[in-house]
Amino acid sequence: MKRLNTTICCVFLFFLFATFAYAQSSEIRILHVNDFHGFVEPYKPLGSDELLGGIPYLASKANELRKEKPSLLLSAGDMIQGDNWANLFLAESVIELMNGMRFDVMVLGNHEFDFGQGVLKKRISEARFPILGANVEGLDSIKPYAIKELKGIRVALIGIVTEDVPLATHPRNVAGLRFISHIETAEKYIKELKNKTDVIIVLSHIGYPADRVLAEKVKGIDVIVGGHSHTKITKPVSIGKTLIVQAWEHGKALGVLDLTVKDGKIIKFEGHLEEIKPEKGKEDKAALAIVKKYKERVNAVLNERIGEAAVDLDGENVRKRETNLGDFIADIMRRASEADVTLINGGGIRTSIKKGEVRMKEIYSALPFDNYIVAIKLTGKQIKEALEHGVSGVENEEGRFPQVSGLTFKYSPPEKRGSRVKEVYIAGKPIDPDRTYIVATNDFLAVGGDGYKAFGEAIKSSRDFPAIGGMMKGEKVVYSDSSRWVRDVVVEYIKEKKRIAPAMEGRIIEIR
Amino acid sequence: MKVYVNQKSVDVLPGMTVKHALMSTGLFKEIEASKKVYEEWGNELGLDGALSEGMKIYVKNCKT
Repeated sequence: MKRLNTTICCVFLFFLFATFAYAQSSEIRILHVNDFHGFVEPYKPLGSDELLGGIPYLASKANELRKEKPSLLLSAGDMIQGDNWANLFLAESVIELMNGMRFDVMVLGNHEFDFGQGVLKKRISEARFPILGANVEGLDSIKPYAIKELKGIRVALIGIVTEDVPLATHPRNVAGLRFISHIETAEKYIKELKNKTDVIIVLSHIGYPADRVLAEKVKGIDVIVGGHSHTKITKPVSIGKTLIVQAWEHGKALGVLDLTVKDGKIIKFEGHLEEIKPEKGKEDKAALAIVKKYKERVNAVLNERIGEAAVDLDGENVRKRETNLGDFIADIMRRASEADVTLINGGGIRTSIKKGEVRMKEIYSALPFDNYIVAIKLTGKQIKEALEHGVSGVENEEGRFPQVSGLTFKYSPPEKRGSRVKEVYIAGKPIDPDRTYIVATNDFLAVGGDGYKAFGEAIKSSRDFPAIGGMMKGEKVVYSDSSRWVRDVVVEYIKEKKRIAPAMEGRIIEIR
Repeated sequence: MKVYVNQKSVDVLPGMTVKHALMSTGLFKEIEASKKVYEEWGNELGLDGALSEGMKIYVKNCKT
């Protein structure tokens, strides 16, 4: 009996101490999004019939979850560049939305640089939350880290961005900036912050594979809240003592990570993704108001007059012959990339534009695809092969028919495919099969779209070499600017010239 | 930059995304037919997700 009493007493004391110890712990909640890209409205992802996303619904869910325990709302970068709702206002709309949603901290993604440093600095000044970039040197308005206190728990947030930014945006957007090692940067700030804070979170825009490496190599990170790879991590992943989370893309999910912290240690965690779907009456009214305000302005901006066309611009016949609109777009791409030649697919041009006032929406209709300019070194032989491929489906008016700049050629449709192209001239001289030329195109053709193989072969045979920041860059890639769609480059050009009058120049001549 | 789609190697440019790798291998149409993209640890990827050197991705039927 005495032994039983002792046992009961021990069990009681154990639970008493356990309860006391637990009572000394604190629970906090991390809410997170990444790679939003301005997608404020729900949409059906490719291959799905279900509407997902919608920022007013995400905001509502975040508010609901915030009420339950002390929380931080974080962004792991790339909030801009994508949907017109963000792009047409150079992300001013996004920052207003994030202010309204009471975001606590954000890290820069690679796309935050896409509108140039002047715009970026303005957006940072408008944000009512710190924007981080610990491994970015040369941009004074960003901070390496932020410290937030939640219910007595001091949380350090260190922001790191991919070192590849200079290779994914226009060089002028990153002029004078240095993107240094995110691993060394994280180590440096962890050393500085570990004794001052209870929890260390790395807010990362380096992609999930790199997040895993970071967790393996750098000790002392409690949580990595990631972005860049658009990874849907449904449950937190543990690598050593580090948790990694990431919430997919486009506001289709809100990441939720609950942490129980005691004596500067995470003693318990639970995480999941809240999938965001439109539900009538569940939208956050304040977020909805901001969405609507800029949506009305999207229409106004697209209706703005950007210039005048002195002639009709032919986007109808782009699949069977040279047209003045094809020439015009190809010329602008060649100019932007300083290439020798442009070769694009006529099928990428979808409508004509009437003589008279040109509005932005007409350029957006003519060039509806989210394509950007790349320029790759091809030999004269490869260019001729690409042209042969381009004219090989002309009888069926297939989209691969080329529109060109910087070159002229003749072709004979009755001849068999692969032997139709004759007399190719570049800059007035016969093409040299062994010489290398810089050829501008779009990213779609560069990866073999419409069956074009020449660009892919060039990329494949390209010797890689390390570029600034450690990223491998191909020797045959001269230009790659994913920060601007081709249509925006065309809009910019028309705004600059004000009046355009492109004429056909006999670049593509059909012979019978 | 080399990545692997369903174990086939593909060369893409820095800054290109999952979508580009799928186009390069002719698998983009599989997504239109409701398949999804996963990485080597089994997580689903968005089509605009960044690629990294040596990354392995798979086009598969949706996980249930």
